[in-house]
Amino acid sequence: MKKTFIARITAGLAAFAMIAAAGSCGNGGSAQTTTAAAGTPAASADDSLKKVMDAKQLVLGLDASFPPMGFTNEANEIVGFDIDVAQAVCDKMGITLVKQPIVWDNKEEDLNVGKIDCVWNGMSINESRQKAMNLSEPYMNNEMIFVVPGNSTVKTMDDLKGKTVGVQSGSSAEEILVAADLYKDITVTALEDNVTLLNQMELGFSDAVFLDSIVANYFITENSKDYVILPGNLEAEEYAIGFRKNDQALRDEVQKILGELKAEGKLAEISTKWFGRDVTTVK
Amino acid sequence: MTGEQLSTLFGLMLEYAVPTLKIFAFTLLYSIPLGMVVALLKMCRFKPISWLTNIYILIMRGTPLLLQLIVAQYSVPYIVRSDICPDFIKSLLENVDIRSESYTFNMMLFAFVLNYAAYFAEIFRGGLESIPKGQYEASRCLGFGKFQTFFRIILPQVIKRVVPASSNEIITLVKDTSLASAIPYMEIMYIAKKQVPLYASLMPLFMAGVFYFVFATVLTVLFSAVEKKLDYYR
Repeated sequence: MKKTFIARITAGLAAFAMIAAAGSCGNGGSAQTTTAAAGTPAASADDSLKKVMDAKQLVLGLDASFPPMGFTNEANEIVGFDIDVAQAVCDKMGITLVKQPIVWDNKEEDLNVGKIDCVWNGMSINESRQKAMNLSEPYMNNEMIFVVPGNSTVKTMDDLKGKTVGVQSGSSAEEILVAADLYKDITVTALEDNVTLLNQMELGFSDAVFLDSIVANYFITENSKDYVILPGNLEAEEYAIGFRKNDQALRDEVQKILGELKAEGKLAEISTKWFGRDVTTVK
Repeated sequence: MTGEQLSTLFGLMLEYAVPTLKIFAFTLLYSIPLGMVVALLKMCRFKPISWLTNIYILIMRGTPLLLQLIVAQYSVPYIVRSDICPDFIKSLLENVDIRSESYTFNMMLFAFVLNYAAYFAEIFRGGLESIPKGQYEASRCLGFGKFQTFFRIILPQVIKRVVPASSNEIITLVKDTSLASAIPYMEIMYIAKKQVPLYASLMPLFMAGVFYFVFATVLTVLFSAVEKKLDYYR
């Protein structure tokens, strides 16, 4: 009885290992095809723009909890600065804007498999994203800053040593923080979204939050919170729109229309609605 | 939060309780019959079938449902791209619109059903094996056929015995539907999470918790009534 039991387990494990091996072979194969396939269409013709025009829709992927760039309102509609700009771009192209919520950590994957056409959600430019996506020209400046509660003893960035700092997981803020000299002296807690981090800071889970100044300023004024932004920042950076690596035609078209919107003053109008002034850097 | 905000939020949550119930109902609808089939396959006397079933159950119970949901979502585009995939499957899958809402829902349901069928199969197998062999022998002596024995003597007893364990699994499913928010699929948990930044308050999550609690309580009451009803020999 015991012998057959062990035999069965061994057989099961062997079969499992075979399936796993077959699976990993499959993965290796698919990776090769992707690169091979990626090479050909770029060389021949780029039909990315035609595809979008034929489908009559641009599918915009976003996290939907990043105020004021793209977030969910009381009626569960997705609104924000990026959404208004994307809508203006789509109006010019004569197509519909589809807002597709995604998991921020999987954005490159969703772009690659074609679930979405672009990532447009206050996305900071960094090296890994430049490698993984075809980025537009930067359209806005951003700083990464530390926010502390109003009554905190932390007054400068040097006071942060030995403290706990919250940061959004998968964000460029996290990458900057990990790369900073300060990193070895602080404890970092990573969470899914910035507002939860700020709430946790208020409850005492952490001493400070490291996030985009745009988000911090909007949150503090909108909810009249007693938070202080520490002087100085770790790194200035810029926001851009991410497209699939091969979708050059689509990227160029959106870039061209953004330029037109800037010239017409439409971008300034949208920016004033959300930030009180024109913060866009589109040329 | 003001009273007005609370009522807006409650209305929104109530609206998205429907997708949650949809996942729950469809998962049960497909996974219980599939679980019965899997239980019978596992007890099959032809060993390779039994082994294959064991591997399936091992994988389904041995990996997190959250991962299975994500794998299901990305499976179709990856299969289309791989070279080992036969052409006829490829041409079939290429017509699948991975951007449509029905794709998201169906693939999610697929993962939920496969996962829950594995658990149900083990419960049903336990129920079937708990019936003493003597009953089969006795029923044959009394002149019952194989089908009659199973449906008139064995099955009624099995049902009685598997209800408590199944109700446990079904109540777990109520809460597991919240994993769909990680796809993301718009159900009550997703809405709650996205409303948190807006109000800068944890109230939406608390409200979602109340919803799950009420739903689970209703099911608990329902199942204790069912158990009482089935308790006809004591």
